[in-house]
Amino acid sequence: MAPTILNPSTLPSDDNVNPYAFCIELRQPWFLRKGAMIAYYGQASFEGLAQTSLSAMVAARFSSPLYAQQWVVAQGVGKVVIGDRGYDINSYDLDAGNLTIRAANLLGFETGLELKQSIVPGFLTLVGTGKFLASSNGPVIFAEPPMRVDPEALLGWADCPSPSHHYDTGWMQGFLGSMAHAVLGVQSGEERQFDFTGAGTILFQSTEVPRPDPAYLAQLESQVTGLGVPGLQRLQTVIGQRLAAEQQH
Amino acid sequence: MSRFEKVNSKVVKVQLGAPVVARRGSMLAYSGQIGFTPHGVPGGMGGGMGGFGGLAGGLMQRAAGEHVSMMEAHGQGEVHYGFRGAHITLLDVAPGQQLQVEAERLLAHDSSLQTSTVFLGSGGIRQAISGAVTGQGLFTTQLSGSGSVAILSHGGTIALPVTPQSQVAVDPQAYVAALGQLSVEVAAKVGWRDAVGKGSGEAIQLKVTGQGTVYVQASERKL
Repeated sequence: MAPTILNPSTLPSDDNVNPYAFCIELRQPWFLRKGAMIAYYGQASFEGLAQTSLSAMVAARFSSPLYAQQWVVAQGVGKVVIGDRGYDINSYDLDAGNLTIRAANLLGFETGLELKQSIVPGFLTLVGTGKFLASSNGPVIFAEPPMRVDPEALLGWADCPSPSHHYDTGWMQGFLGSMAHAVLGVQSGEERQFDFTGAGTILFQSTEVPRPDPAYLAQLESQVTGLGVPGLQRLQTVIGQRLAAEQQH
Repeated sequence: MSRFEKVNSKVVKVQLGAPVVARRGSMLAYSGQIGFTPHGVPGGMGGGMGGFGGLAGGLMQRAAGEHVSMMEAHGQGEVHYGFRGAHITLLDVAPGQQLQVEAERLLAHDSSLQTSTVFLGSGGIRQAISGAVTGQGLFTTQLSGSGSVAILSHGGTIALPVTPQSQVAVDPQAYVAALGQLSVEVAAKVGWRDAVGKGSGEAIQLKVTGQGTVYVQASERKL
């Protein structure tokens, strides 16, 4: 099969080129994650959030200092093609709504939307009206609460209240037992989930090899201050255990 | 028995009837009243090598490199499984059939299926060495009984029928699983050319004989 050759007039307007690439018709400014743009036609400029002339708009719409380094503003007129590691790319339209999404999977959003950091580390919340783009490893699965989702598989959620942590009953029994007898039980690997209740929609995907998120790390690092020597030593043992567990896989 | 259903190429949904055993860390989401417990190390060495059950079997599996932590889901509800974006193939094992698969490619299966670790081929020390060379390992996991299995591959699987009249040879790295009454042997045609690094690169193959289906992936990536 001969490949279809696209030009500025045949490229789709605000639609997927194929499951792995999306074409934005640039008329108004967009926020884009650094590295998400793979090609463009026309007069488009990509400026860092600190360098752009739209600083007032950025300050009003991009309310997340942690992620400011990783984003640019695209403005001008043209067609911009977006891709991310060969992952499926989905566009979503929000209408006076809110949606929280894993920061590593958010690729771009219109300036009609406002970005905020979620209470859950590593997640960003979009509020308002407009279109945004997110990537997923395989098609996104939509589900309704009540449901419990593995933190690594969770892509985001809309309209429902923030999740709480759920610990498996058997694990809790073992944990309480270990508090009493100082004997640690065997773990199933599935003892901790995010528990969703209420009305709304949950988005999840197949687990991915987690992408290092510098902002998430910075967020955690900033919380380490004020722990003192005993706290830091404890953290060190916890990290040691996690490292050993990760290397086992 | 539980009902397995693919949601998309990378995620499988299981309606729990009986308990389901799955790779540790592969649960994506669930709804309903479901508990997860570590799955006991299954039944030791099979394939006519006598039954070392319990702890001894577990030690054998560890020694054989065929040990992947599994956990069992039990209760009422629906569970979604997936693993690092790997493609999923659903297979049904019928009574009298065996499924041979590398432990690390096993995503989930009905707990009614018996698992054991079997020795790949029995062709003496030379085959043992070539098995070690291919990275295929000398052991594989065998499931028998009746039930559903979800296996993992990179990019999906291709099913190749095997009959007594037509045996199939596959690249060890592309090999995923063999279902039916099949024997999988490491066949090495290592000559002096390979020793000096001028071989075809295809000297070591897996020879599948018997009656059934062999599944291969169009990739050499391991999981």
